[in-house]
Amino acid sequence: MSTSEARALSALAPGMRGRIVRVTRDLTVRAERLGALGVSAGASVRVLQTFPGIVFECDQTEIAVERLVARSIWIEVEAV
Amino acid sequence: MSCPHAIESLRPRPLLRLRAHPLRIALVGNPNVGKSVIFGRLTGRYVTVSNYPGTTVGVTKGRAMVGAEMCEIVDTPGVNTLEGALSEDEKITRRLITDDAAELIVQVADARNLRRALLLTSQLAELRRPMILVLNMLDEARARGVDIDAEGLSEQLGVPVIEAVAPEGRGLAELREALPDAALVRAARECGVDHLGWAEQMTRRYRHIGQMSLGRVQEWLARAVRQPLTGLPILGVVLYVTYLAVGVLGAQTLVGVLEDGLFGRYLNPWATAAAARIPVAIVRDFLVGQYGLITMGMTYAIAIVLPVVTTFFLVFGFLEDSGYIPRLAIFSDRLFRAMGLNGKAVLPMVLGLGCDTMATMTTRILGTPKERLIAILLLALGVPCSAQLATIMGILGGVSFVALFTLFGVVLSQMVIVGYLAARVLPGDRSDFIMELPPLRLPRLRNLLTKTALRVRWYLGEAVPLFLIGTALLFVLDRAGALDTITRAARPVVTGALGLPPNAAGVFVMGFLRRDYGAAGMFQMARDGTLTGAQALVALTVMTLFVPCVANLLMIIRERGVKTGLAILAFVTIVAIGTGAALNGALRVLHVNF
Repeated sequence: MSTSEARALSALAPGMRGRIVRVTRDLTVRAERLGALGVSAGASVRVLQTFPGIVFECDQTEIAVERLVARSIWIEVEAV
Repeated sequence: MSCPHAIESLRPRPLLRLRAHPLRIALVGNPNVGKSVIFGRLTGRYVTVSNYPGTTVGVTKGRAMVGAEMCEIVDTPGVNTLEGALSEDEKITRRLITDDAAELIVQVADARNLRRALLLTSQLAELRRPMILVLNMLDEARARGVDIDAEGLSEQLGVPVIEAVAPEGRGLAELREALPDAALVRAARECGVDHLGWAEQMTRRYRHIGQMSLGRVQEWLARAVRQPLTGLPILGVVLYVTYLAVGVLGAQTLVGVLEDGLFGRYLNPWATAAAARIPVAIVRDFLVGQYGLITMGMTYAIAIVLPVVTTFFLVFGFLEDSGYIPRLAIFSDRLFRAMGLNGKAVLPMVLGLGCDTMATMTTRILGTPKERLIAILLLALGVPCSAQLATIMGILGGVSFVALFTLFGVVLSQMVIVGYLAARVLPGDRSDFIMELPPLRLPRLRNLLTKTALRVRWYLGEAVPLFLIGTALLFVLDRAGALDTITRAARPVVTGALGLPPNAAGVFVMGFLRRDYGAAGMFQMARDGTLTGAQALVALTVMTLFVPCVANLLMIIRERGVKTGLAILAFVTIVAIGTGAALNGALRVLHVNF
C-alpha cells in the first residue's frame, strides 16, 4: 500500500481514506477540542461527505466540522 | 490446583464499614456513553436518557446499596477533556471531582472509542482517585468489528475493567462486585509520555478492529439523513409526521374527544350542577364561572394542552433516541454561523420545541458566553414550546396552510434578523463547529415510554398547578376590575396596532404565566369564532414572539443574571408587538383574510 504526501482534510473528496499526520496547533483550543474527540495524529480517517459541511469518520466516531476546521487537519491519503 | 475464586474469598472484606458519610462515587465519561443508564441501573432512579451528547447538563445524585454499604452515586455531564478550554458543563464535572471530593470514580467508556476514553482516563488519573473503567456498548462495538482485550488492559492500568451493555443490565453485577477493588490508574505520567500519546499507544496494543457486521439498512440510513439530496426530503417527512401526530391526532382528534366529549358533555355540566348547590355566588363563579377553576383551568390543562404535549413528547422522544436531531446541525451550520452561533446550536433550538426552559439550560453545551447569550435570546424570542406549537398548528392548520407558513416565515426571519444583529453587536466570538454525531439507533420502547411518562408527570405536577394559579389570578383580577383596566390600558396596542378583539389582552396576560396557557386561551377564542383568520395569525405570531413564560424567565435569570434577564424581556416584548403591528398592517393593506 503506497501513501502520498499530506493533504488538508478540506481538500479531500468523499470516500477517501487516510491517517492523520498532524493537527495544526496555531489555534490551541481547536486542536484540543479535536484531540478530545480522538482527532489527532495517528487516527485513521474516512471522508463521508463534503457538502454542506464536512463529515468524516475518525476511528469509530462520525464527526461533522466546518471547512475552516478541516483545513487544520492534515492527512496522509491512502492510495486506492 | 489454583483456584482464583477461593483465594478471592479468603481476602478479608469488612461486612459493614462505618463512615461519617456514604461513599461518594462519581460516574464520569465522554458524552453519550451511557452514564445516565448506568446511574439508573445502580440507583433505580430514572434520569432522562437520550441519544445525543449533552442530555445531562447538571448533576444528579442517588443512593445505591453496594454489598453492605450505602453509596452515593453521582451522574455527571459528559466531558471530552478535563484540561485546557472547557465548556460550562465540562467545568461542572471537573469542579465536582476536584472540590466535592468524589472518593471513587467509575469511568464509563464507549467501547467503540477506546482512544478517546483512555485520553480521559489519563487525565482522570492525575486527580488521584481510585477508579474503575466500564467499557459500555460492547454489543455495538462488536457489530463494528471492535474487539478489546479487557483483561490485558486491566492489568496494564492496574484497575478493574468491566465489559457492559448497560440498557440490558449486562456488566452491572460485575461493576458492583468490582467496586472494592478500585485502585489508582497507571497512565501517561507513569509511562513518561503525554496523554494523547499514551492513549494512542494503549489503543494500538489492546484494541483490534476486525470485520464490520453493521446492517446495510443502518449504513444506508446514516448516509441518507446527512446528505442534502435525501436528507432534506427526509426532514420534510419528519416534520409532516410530527404535524400529523401532534397537530392532527393530538390537537384535533384527542382534544375534540376530551374537550367536547369528556369536559363539554360530562364534567363541566356535572360540576356546574354540583356547584349550583353552593349558596355563595362568588364561590360558585370561582369554580365554574367564566374564569372558573374547573371550567377554565382544568379544561385548558387537561382537555387542550395535555393531549397535545403527550403526543409531542412521544414523537420528540423517538427523535431524541434515534440520534437524528444532531444530524440537522450539518444542514443548519451555515445559517447559524450568520447568527453568531454554529451548527451545534441546533440542539438547544430543537429541544426548545419541547420546553424553552429546559433548552435554556442545554445552552451550556455551547462553546462561548456569546453563543450562550444569543441562543438564550433566540429561544426566548422565537422558539415556540410544544404546547404552543401544537395549538398554532391546531388553529392555523384549520384556517389555511398559507397562514401557517406565514407565521413560521415571520418568526424565523425575525430570529435570523435578531441573531444576525446580535452577532455583530455583542462582544465575544463564536466557537468552531466541531460536532460528534451519535450512532443512529432504533429507540427502545421502554425508554421512550418511561421518558414520556416522566415528562407528562412533570407537566401535570408543574404546569397544571400554574394553570390553576393563573386562573385564580385572572378571577381575582376580573373581580377587582383590574382585568378591565388592563384591557383598557392595552386597548391602543391590542385593538389599535394589532387589530385584535379587546379581550385578547387577558390571553396575553395568561401567556406570560405559561406560554401554552395563553396559546390554549387563543385556541378557545378561535374555536368560538371570536377571531378571524387574519386575527388568529397576528395574535399567534405575537404570542410566539412574546415574552418567555415565568419559568423560562426565571431560568434565564438563574443562568445569566437579573440584568440580562430583564433586558431580554424588554427587547422581546418590543420586537413581538412591533412585528405583530407590521404584520397586521401588511395584511390589511393587502386585504388578506384567510
